[in-house]
Amino acid sequence: MITETWDWIARVAEWGAANWSHPGDPDRGVLPRLAEHMRLSYLSILIGLALALPLGLACVRWKRLYPPVLTGVNVLYAVPSIALFFLMLPYTGFSDWTAVVPLALYTLVILLPNVVDGLRQVPDHVRQAAVAMGFGPLRRLVYVETPVAVPVIIAGLRVASVATISMVSVASLVGLGGLGRLILSDGFRRQFDAPIVIGIVLTVLLAFVTDAVLVIARRLLTPWARGSGGGGGLPRRRRRAAVPAGAGAAAGPEAADAERARHPAQTGTTAKERRPWTS
Amino acid sequence: MITFEGASKLYPDGTVAVDDLDLTVETGQTTVFVGPSGSGKTTSLRMVNRMVEPTGGSVLIDGQDVRRRDPAALRRSIGYVIQQAGLFPHRTVRDNIATVPLLLGWGRARARARAAELMELVGLEPSQARRYPHQLSGGQQQRVGVARALAADPPILLMDEPFSAVDPVVRAGLQDELLRLQEELHKTIVFVTHDIDEAVRLGDRIAVFRPGGRLAQYDSPERLLAAPRDAFVESFVGYDRGVRRLSFFPARELSLREDVVFGDDTGAGAATASMRGEPWALVVTGDRVPLGWVGAGQLARVPADTALGSLDLAPYGHTFAVDTDSLRAALDAAVLSPAGRAVGVDADGRVVGVVSQDDLGTALWSVTE
Amino acid sequence: MDILTDLLAWFADPAQWTGDTGIPARVGEHVHYSLLGLLLSAAVAVPLGLLTGHTGVGGFLTTSLANFARALPTIGVLFLIVLAAGIGLVPVLCALVALAVPPILVNTHEGVRGVEPRLRDAALGMGMRGHQVLLRLELPVAVPLILIGMRTAAVQVVATATIAAYVGVGGLGRYIVDGQARQDLTMMLGGSALVVLLAVLTTLLFAGLRRLLVAPGLRAGAVA
Repeated sequence: MITETWDWIARVAEWGAANWSHPGDPDRGVLPRLAEHMRLSYLSILIGLALALPLGLACVRWKRLYPPVLTGVNVLYAVPSIALFFLMLPYTGFSDWTAVVPLALYTLVILLPNVVDGLRQVPDHVRQAAVAMGFGPLRRLVYVETPVAVPVIIAGLRVASVATISMVSVASLVGLGGLGRLILSDGFRRQFDAPIVIGIVLTVLLAFVTDAVLVIARRLLTPWARGSGGGGGLPRRRRRAAVPAGAGAAAGPEAADAERARHPAQTGTTAKERRPWTS
Repeated sequence: MITFEGASKLYPDGTVAVDDLDLTVETGQTTVFVGPSGSGKTTSLRMVNRMVEPTGGSVLIDGQDVRRRDPAALRRSIGYVIQQAGLFPHRTVRDNIATVPLLLGWGRARARARAAELMELVGLEPSQARRYPHQLSGGQQQRVGVARALAADPPILLMDEPFSAVDPVVRAGLQDELLRLQEELHKTIVFVTHDIDEAVRLGDRIAVFRPGGRLAQYDSPERLLAAPRDAFVESFVGYDRGVRRLSFFPARELSLREDVVFGDDTGAGAATASMRGEPWALVVTGDRVPLGWVGAGQLARVPADTALGSLDLAPYGHTFAVDTDSLRAALDAAVLSPAGRAVGVDADGRVVGVVSQDDLGTALWSVTE
Repeated sequence: MDILTDLLAWFADPAQWTGDTGIPARVGEHVHYSLLGLLLSAAVAVPLGLLTGHTGVGGFLTTSLANFARALPTIGVLFLIVLAAGIGLVPVLCALVALAVPPILVNTHEGVRGVEPRLRDAALGMGMRGHQVLLRLELPVAVPLILIGMRTAAVQVVATATIAAYVGVGGLGRYIVDGQARQDLTMMLGGSALVVLLAVLTTLLFAGLRRLLVAPGLRAGAVA
């Protein structure tokens, strides 16, 4: 049994190495797919972030905006990505945008509550102190509110990046690139297991590496939070809440909402960190 | 009766939470465990219902070591009230109170009927029965907590800082309720608090714990205030314990003078004659409701036939209830009165008499024995 | 606009609504797989989560598992299992369950862990035994979070069931797959639209379930 498994692993690894890249054809091989995958994922995440920041700011500024936006965003969250990819087809064809637009929207869905809550998290007395010291609204935003919001936003980014990297594979069904192509064309269509395994492994690795990069980014950006450690975050402010406070991996926007409402002072691991799944 | 025999609790990391505790909690009395944080009072309490197991010594209830009993069965026979009540958020008030009876196998109807009884006992409106804990105020939640602990009518009640999380006004109300309940029920209560005033108010006996888990002093509240055993206890008890101790002495033994109390229709001249040199006179209505003080000098300056009631009177300040108040209240009333004399009233607020400064002084100094 | 009118025509066509490949049939298949997948996942994940949450053992394992599973590409898991075990309902269900168990498991675990220690203390102090604390306190209090986990799993399952059409089973995904094969855009879009509808309905269903199953005392983000 063990030797068989070892042999199998060796075989898969060999295939991966052998097909890593093809000197003659730049479009074939594992590496180009990986590069495509990274391109699609990161582009989507960055666009999603770029959309979430101003929208989140607007929701903080104009409080009435938030509930309807949040509901809309929640509805979107429920939609399977494959459906969205196909619905984009008539409009964006086989370009990258067919994948990027839905994925960016998903990233937006995940990030928006984090941005809003992150900005709102600034304790009131800190904000008052800033006002009393003569900080105008823009200064406050830049010097006070954003730094506090950063850990929460990064927490959301971590969730969004893992989800996005995983979802890019689905886009291969529409004919787009990424490691999903490996899984579908080289793997499944040819009844060959090695590409599928390589595809899975690389996707997971990419997700973990991205996650690690974000954790490092957070450490660098928030030197004041280092004492409490990355995993634990600030001690939860004791509220009289008896409802479960730790939301798990699959907590959707609502749970993350409820969770944030109970522990506004957490800047470390929040519910959003261990969040959504969509295919 | 709860007996601690050399009870100790030593944690693996070396912390001594309770150090060789020897103490007897009398049946039917309220015993308060008081002390600063880390003094082992809560740990000692939790040894009684085996939430904490002693590492040395033993705890006995009516002579039987608690370790001989099944923990769950033991706990169902002991009421347990904690800070912030710990009410189940997913159950109504009524069902929260009925928790232990239901655990014991009572039928739902019987358990709920009992819950209704207890709600009345702790002063909750029947309409609260179907509400959920989050809809109640802090004080109301604590009442539900107490009701829940009393539901199966346990002989022993363990209370761990139950009133610490509510604001002072609500807390005073809850303390009153507990005193009233205890008068009716005579449970054996062990009450933990870090507030010495609460301890003095509620306890029949007080056990003062010092950091490190040792018992510093175990006495009645009055003896504790009169004779703290060492510097720690003295500083813990607080700086004005002399005056606070006065609240243990009844005011009803004070002699009350009526010769300086006059009706509002008395004439100034007649009053001055009766006062015989006293500097102040108290003016009351026909029903002996106090109106105010008038000075002898003021009386001398007005025509002899002026009715006292028509004069400008100094406010009578605070009064003390002769039958129920303590010397401390009488002293307080005297200090707050512009005349420097305490006005004693009966249960209906009618003036019984005035305490002369000499009499009050004599009573105060006699306490120091 | 052309696309829209074509789409509406496709829906309006009565032939779409009858037979083995009609909309009702496909929806039925899809719901069938999804429900089966979800229930199986719950049957595995909820008791396991209750156990690990109550005992506190295996917390790190569950979170690690969840993090890992989140990164797994759906088609990878699906295709690998089908490649290994063949086409059919059972392999597909295995894939569905593999992908749906982590969210339910983690949420159940966290739901139980998240019960305030104070409440556990009160429950034990009242004389409840371990299993009673689990069933009478931890489980009811964990229900909101469990429901959320199940809702996420449900959406995951509906989505994966759609993709499963690529490995030969039925369901709404067939419109997408068949449409792709025949270059019939309308069919692809119709299928996608139906999937969206089903997903949204599932979400609404769970919102309703939440209203039904979660004690009023817990719903308000309650305090005790």
